[in-house]
Amino acid sequence: MSERPVNDSKKKSNVKRRDFLKILGVSGAAVSAAACSPEPAGKLIPYLVSPDETVPGVSTYYATTCRECPAACGIIAETRDGRTIKLEGNPAHPLNRGAICARGQSALQQLYNPDRLRTPLVKQAGTWKPIPWKDALAMVGEKLADARAKGTAGNAVFINQHESGSLVEFIDQWLAAFGMKPHLSVEFEADQATLEANRRAYGVAWPRLNFSAARLIVSFGADFLDGWGTSVPQQLDFADARTNFQTAPRFVYIGPRRSLTGLNADQWIACKPGSELAIAQALLGAMGHRTGTSIAQAATASGVSAEVLTTLANELKAAAPSMVLSGVRTGDALEVAATVAEINRAAGNVGKTILPDEPILAFEGISRYSELADAVEDMRGGRVPVAFVRGANPAYFLPASLKFDDAFAKVPFKVAFATQPDETVEQCDLVLPDLHALENWGDAQPVKGTLSLQQPAMDKVFSETRSAGDVMIALAKADPSAARRFPQADYRTWVMEQFAGGPRAFAAGLATGIASGNMSVRRTPGARGTGTAPALEQASGDYYLVTYPHTLFGDGRGANKPWLQELPDPVSKIVWSSWVELHPETATKLGIERGDILEVKTAAGTIKAPAYLYLGIRPDTIAVALGQGHRSRAKLAPWNPANNNNAQNFLQWGYGRYARDVGVNAFDLISATTDAAGGFVWTGTKASITKTGDHETIPSTEGSARQHGRGIAQAATIADLLGGKVKDEQEPLLPGEAPHEYLRGMRAPVAADAQGEIGAPTAADSGTLLGLYDPRNPLGMAKRRWAMTIDLAKCTGCSACVTACYAENNLPTVGAAWQNATVYAVHKTGYNIVRGREMNWLRLERYFEGADDAKFGEEFEGRFVPMLCQQCGNAPCEPVCPVFATYHSPDGLNVQVYNRCVGTRYCSNNCPYKVRYFNWFGYGESDRPQYAFPEPLNWQLNPDVTVRGKGVMEKCTFCVHRIREAEDRATLEGRELIPDEFTSACAAACPSRAIVFGDAMDPKWAVNQHIEDERAYTVFKEINAFPAVVYLKRINHPSPLTASKA
Amino acid sequence: MATTAAPLPMGEPLGPNVASADVHFPAIKTYEQVDHEIINTMRPTLGWFILLALAILAMLAGAATWTYQIYEGLGAAGYQPPVMWGVYIVSFVFWVGIGHAGTLISAILYLFRAGFRTSIYRVSEAMTVFAVMTAGLFPILHLGRPWKFFYLIPYPHWRLIWPNPKSPLVWDVFAILTYLTVSATFLYVGLLPDFAIMRDREKNPIRKRLFATLSLGWRNSDREWRHFARAYLFLAAFATPLVLSVHSVVSFDFAMANMPGWHETIFPPYFVAGAIYSGLGMVFTLVIPMRKFFKLEHYITLNDLDAAAKMCLFVSMVVGLAYLTEFQMGWLAGSSFEQEYWWNRTFGQWWWAEWIILSCNCLLPMSLFSRKLRRNPGWLFALSIFINIGMWFERFTIIIPTLSHEFEPWQWGTYMPTWVDMGILLGSFGFFFMWFLLFIKQLPVMAMSEFKELIPAKMKQRAAGGGAH
Repeated sequence: MSERPVNDSKKKSNVKRRDFLKILGVSGAAVSAAACSPEPAGKLIPYLVSPDETVPGVSTYYATTCRECPAACGIIAETRDGRTIKLEGNPAHPLNRGAICARGQSALQQLYNPDRLRTPLVKQAGTWKPIPWKDALAMVGEKLADARAKGTAGNAVFINQHESGSLVEFIDQWLAAFGMKPHLSVEFEADQATLEANRRAYGVAWPRLNFSAARLIVSFGADFLDGWGTSVPQQLDFADARTNFQTAPRFVYIGPRRSLTGLNADQWIACKPGSELAIAQALLGAMGHRTGTSIAQAATASGVSAEVLTTLANELKAAAPSMVLSGVRTGDALEVAATVAEINRAAGNVGKTILPDEPILAFEGISRYSELADAVEDMRGGRVPVAFVRGANPAYFLPASLKFDDAFAKVPFKVAFATQPDETVEQCDLVLPDLHALENWGDAQPVKGTLSLQQPAMDKVFSETRSAGDVMIALAKADPSAARRFPQADYRTWVMEQFAGGPRAFAAGLATGIASGNMSVRRTPGARGTGTAPALEQASGDYYLVTYPHTLFGDGRGANKPWLQELPDPVSKIVWSSWVELHPETATKLGIERGDILEVKTAAGTIKAPAYLYLGIRPDTIAVALGQGHRSRAKLAPWNPANNNNAQNFLQWGYGRYARDVGVNAFDLISATTDAAGGFVWTGTKASITKTGDHETIPSTEGSARQHGRGIAQAATIADLLGGKVKDEQEPLLPGEAPHEYLRGMRAPVAADAQGEIGAPTAADSGTLLGLYDPRNPLGMAKRRWAMTIDLAKCTGCSACVTACYAENNLPTVGAAWQNATVYAVHKTGYNIVRGREMNWLRLERYFEGADDAKFGEEFEGRFVPMLCQQCGNAPCEPVCPVFATYHSPDGLNVQVYNRCVGTRYCSNNCPYKVRYFNWFGYGESDRPQYAFPEPLNWQLNPDVTVRGKGVMEKCTFCVHRIREAEDRATLEGRELIPDEFTSACAAACPSRAIVFGDAMDPKWAVNQHIEDERAYTVFKEINAFPAVVYLKRINHPSPLTASKA
Repeated sequence: MATTAAPLPMGEPLGPNVASADVHFPAIKTYEQVDHEIINTMRPTLGWFILLALAILAMLAGAATWTYQIYEGLGAAGYQPPVMWGVYIVSFVFWVGIGHAGTLISAILYLFRAGFRTSIYRVSEAMTVFAVMTAGLFPILHLGRPWKFFYLIPYPHWRLIWPNPKSPLVWDVFAILTYLTVSATFLYVGLLPDFAIMRDREKNPIRKRLFATLSLGWRNSDREWRHFARAYLFLAAFATPLVLSVHSVVSFDFAMANMPGWHETIFPPYFVAGAIYSGLGMVFTLVIPMRKFFKLEHYITLNDLDAAAKMCLFVSMVVGLAYLTEFQMGWLAGSSFEQEYWWNRTFGQWWWAEWIILSCNCLLPMSLFSRKLRRNPGWLFALSIFINIGMWFERFTIIIPTLSHEFEPWQWGTYMPTWVDMGILLGSFGFFFMWFLLFIKQLPVMAMSEFKELIPAKMKQRAAGGGAH
C-alpha cells in the first residue's frame, strides 16, 4: 500500500478513523490468536454481526508491558473501538502492582505521535525519499552481503534501546547469523556504577529494595523516586513504608542538589559534589571498619558539619536494619557504590532491606557507556561498515564533546529502526519505520521468576510501519546463509516459540499479562580498568556543574510528548523549557534574578538558559537537567500548523514538533569521561556563569512557592503523631455560622446551604425535613457522597496523577509555541503557561517550608499537594453562575455543563482553590493553530469525555463518566455498587497509592477510614465550603540533632 | 411660527443683564436669544465632523477587534488566570459609574432645587444614557461565548431553564436594563418642550415632521405644562433610588463573592459614591470643552462650575473615606488573607495602581478647596481627566489585585492587557463619543425651556408675546 498520511483528512475523509481493527489478545479470560491484519477494512464496526470482543462504546482491556524505561512494568491498555485510549497499571504485575508513572502513561503519545514515521525513507543526495519496503529490504540485504564479502561484517554496530526480554537474544542471534558481533543494549540513564557494585557485592545487578523493613534510609544521590532504578515499585514500597508509622523509616538524602527524592527526605545533607565518597567512608569507619577517613576529614571534604555527620553515623549504627543507597554520578561513583554496599553489609542490611535473592532483572545486560564510546571510536576510525540504531538516540544524549556526529558520518551505511524522526535517525541513510510497543509483540523479565508479556493493544496506526523483529526476520530469510536460523514466519512466532512453555503458555499468560518462568539474560561483561574522569576539583570554573536526567524526559526521549512537556517538572515546576538551577545566595552575589538568561560555560561548551533560583542546591553548585534542546541538522522552519496537510512536512527532525528547539541540551557542557564501572560521568566538571542581560519569564505553573501559613499542605512530626497530638480540635460552632450537619463519615460534611436549608438541625423547620444527603430522605436523591482522600505522607509529588488526568479527561496541552493567539501575539514556547493558562484539572503544588530568608544551611522542607476541584458541599462557584452551568448534583458533585456555560468566568473568580480552567482558545478545533490533538493524537481522546469548546469553563469532574459507567453497569447487572469497584483516573495511576476515591456515605468504601483518620484535614476550612477532598497530613521525621536543639 | 420668540429688538446690543453675568449668572435676556443661541450650536462644523469621524473610526476599530476576539477566543485578550476578569469588567464598572452623574444631576439635584443643574443637566443625562449603553456592551463582549448571552435573560423556554436568581450577574442584567430604560425616558420627557421649539423653528419638512412626532404634539398649553412638571417630578423621584440601586447591584458582583478585597459590606455605598464621582468627572470633561467651543460661557457660568466642583470635592472626600474604611477593614479583619491582600495591593505588586487612584481621586481634588481653582475651567478640565483615569484605575485595583492574590498562593499571578483589550476599550470610547457627538448636533445641549425660566421677570415682560417655552 502506498503512503497514506493519516493527517491528510481532506483527501481521505474519516475512513481511517473508523477503521475496524482486528485486535489480538484477550479481553478478560478470552484468548484470541487470530492473525494481525495490516490492511484496514475500511468499514464501520458492524452492529448486526459485530466481531467478537468488540462492542461499540465498550472498552476492551489488554494486558501488556510498558517499554518507556527498562523496568518493564505491566500495563493495561484500554482499547475502545479499535483505539487504545488509556494506559493503566496492571494490578497482577509483581513490579508495579497496578500503578503507573507519568512516563509510562505518555507512551500513548508516542503511539499516536503526529510526527511518527509512516513509510521507509532513503536518503538520496541529501534529501529523503519514500521507498517501498521491498527495495528497502533489498538495500539492507545488499549492504550486509557486501560487508560480509569484504570481511568487515564483524565490525558492524547495532545500537538498541535496552529492553529486557528475549529481544536482546533475538538481535544477537540475528547479528550472529550475518556474522556480526553482539549488539549494544543502551540505557543511558542506567547507573552503571551501582549496577557494577551490586554485581560485585551481591551477584545481581539490582536487588529488590525492601523499604518497609528499613528504619533509616540514607541515599547518596540515589533518586529512587524519580528515575533511578525502577521508580514505580520503589515509590509504592517507600510510600507504604513511610505510612506504616510505628516502624516508618527516617530518610536522609545526601547530595549537592536536592532532587524530587531529596524533597521527600526528612533531612538533606548538602555535601560538595564529589565528596560523597569521603562521607560514605567516614560512615563505614564509624561502623568499625578501617577506611582511613574520619568524620572530621569527611566534614572538611564535604562542607558538612562534623556534628551532622556524627549524628548520622550514630543513627546509622542505632537503626537496624537501615538502607543505604548510592546513585552518585561522579568520577568515583563505583567507589562510592562499593563503599555503600559495604556499609549495608556491615549494618546487616543485606537480606533484610537489600534483597539480592529477589533481584530485579530488567537491568541485566545493559551495555556500559564505555562500550558505546568504544563503538563511536570504531566508527571514527572508519572500521564500521554498517550501523543499525533502534530506538536509542545517541546523537542527542552523547555529549557534544564526544563528536558522535562526525564519527557516525564515517559509517558508509546507517540504518535506523525508528518510530519517530530524531537526531540519530536524521543522520542515517535508511529509515525503517518501526512499530510502537503497543502495536507489537514481545516479552520482558522484570523480576526473577516472572515474565511480563507484551501484546499489541490495537492494530498499527500506520499501515506502512513494520516491527523491527519482522524486518530482521525478512532480511534473514532473504539471505541464504541466515535463512535457516530463522524459520519462523515473523517475530511474533519467534517470541512465542522460544517462550518458556511455548506459544500455549504465552497465550495463557496474556489474560493477566504475566507468566511464571525465567529466561536467560545476557550478562554485562565485567568492568575493566579505571575511569577516565579527572578529579572534579581540578576542573576550571567557579561552580560545580551537576547534570542529571530529567525526571520526566529521562535521557531526552520523553521530550516529544506534549503531556510530558506540559507536565511541570516535579521540583522546579517549569514546563516547556530548560533552566539553570542555582542557590538564591549565589544569585544574590551575582545579581541574578529568576529568569535572567545565563551563559554557562565549561571546557567542553556553552549553553544559555534562564536561571531558576532553588533552595535545594549548594551555593557552590549549579545544575542543569538533560532532556530538552533537541535540534535538527536540517534547517527547518518552526513548526507551522498551517502546513498541517503538507505531505512533506511530517519529517519533523529534531525529535518532532513538540521537542525541537525547546530549551537547551545540557550535554553540550559535558566532557565524555567514564567512571571505573564504565559508566558515564554526569557530574565531572565545573562551570562558570555569566549574565547575558537577557531575561525571560520562565514558563512555570508555580505562583508562590510559600504557603504563607495558610495550611494548604499541613504536616506533623512523627513524635506528635505517635503521641496522639495530631488530631484537630473540633471547633465549636460560632454564632452566625452557616448551619451544617456533620453526617457520619464526612469531616467536611454537607452544607445545608448547598441544597437549601432543608434538613439542617438549625434550619427554620427544626430538622423535620431530612437533608438531601440523609439516607432517610424520601426523595432518595442523595444516596452517595463522592469523596476523595489524599495522603500527603504518601504523596511524593511524582505527578503521575496529573498525566492520568490529561489522558482520561482529554485535557489539551497549551504550551506549544503556535498555540497562542494568531495576530500580534507572542509565539514562544510555553507562553500560554507564562500566562497561567495551563489546563491541568489536577495540579501538583510544591510548597517550601522553612529557610524563609533563603540562606544556605537552613533546613527546609518540600511539601506536595495534589490540588483538584474539591467538589465542595457548599460550593462558592455554584451560586454565582448566572445560567446554572455549574450546579450541585444529588451525589455531591459540582457539575459543570459545558453546553450551558456562557463563559462569564465568575465561578473561577469565586473558587478559593482556583481549580477551574477556561478554554481561552479553540483547543479542540482541528482547523485552528491552537489545536491540541493533531491527527492521530486525537485517536487517544476518551470518547466518554467531551472535548470542550472555546469559551467555556471546565474542571475536575471526579471522573463522573467513570461513576456513571459503574452505576450503569451495576444497574444492568441488577445490583448495588460494590465498594471500591472503580476509582478515579488519578487514584488508579498513583504510584504511592496516596489518592483514595469513593463514596463517603457508605462505610464499606475505603475512603471512609481515611476520612476518619486523625491526620485528616480540609483546606481552607474557614471558608466553609465543605470540600469533599480530605487531605491527610504529611509526617516528618526530624533529625535527632534538630530535635535535641528544639 | 406662532410660538417662536419675537425677533430681537434691532440695534440694541446684547449684553449681560447683570454686571458680571457672563461669569456668574446666565447672560440671557430674551427667549429669542436662548432659542437662537442654543439652536445655533447645532449647526455642524468641520471640527465636529472630524471628531465624529475619529469616534466612528475608533468604534470600528473596537468592533473589528471584537470580531477577531470572537473568532480567536478570549485568549486573544490579556487574561492571565487566575485573573479571569480584566479590562472589560473594569471598563464595564467604569462606564456604569459614569452613567450615574446624569441622573444624579437631573433627578436628585432637581428634587433639591439646585439651580446650577440647569446648564449641565441635559448633557449629563445624555451622557448617562450613552454611558449605560456603552457599559451594557462589556458584559457581553467579555463572555467566552458572547453569542449565548441570551442565556442570562429569562425568556420563555420549553426546557424551563431560567437564569440563576442567586447570581449577581443576573441582577446586573435587570439593574442595567432598568436604569437604561428609566434614564432614557427621563431624558426624553425633559426634551419634550425643546422638541416643540425645534419643530417650530425647523424648515426642513422631514426633520420638522420628525420633531413634531417626537414632541408628541406639544402645544405649550398650561395644562401641558402642569402635566409635564408633574411627570418630570415623578420621574425624578423614580430615578433617584435607581442612582443608588444600580451601582449597588453592580457592587454585588464583587461583594457577593467571597474573595479578599471583594467580600465587603461597604461596597454598595462605596460604589455609589465612586460612580457619582466618576460621573461628575466625565461631566466636567464633556461640558468644559463644549462650553468653550459652543461659546456658551454665559449659559454655563463659572458659578455653575464652582457649584459642581464643590459637589465634586464633597464626593471625593466621601470616596476617600470609603478607601480609608476599606484599608481599616482589611487591617482589622484579623484575617491574613485580607491583610496580605491589602498589603500587596497598596505596597506590593499593585502599588502603582493603588497610588494612581489615591493621588487622582483623593489628593488632587483637594485643590478644589481653592476658590480660584474651582473657577478655573482649564484646571477643572485637567482635574476631570485625572479623575477619569483615577476612577478607571479604582475599578482596576478592585478587580485585578483581588483576583491575582487570593486564598491559594500557588495560583497567585499577575495581569497585563494586550492590544485586544486596549482596542476594545478604545472602541468603547469611540462608541460613546459617537453617540454623544451625534447628540450635541441633533438635539439642544441645554434645556431651552428651563433657561427661559431664568430670564429675569423684567426682561420677560419686555419680550412678552414672544416665545413662551
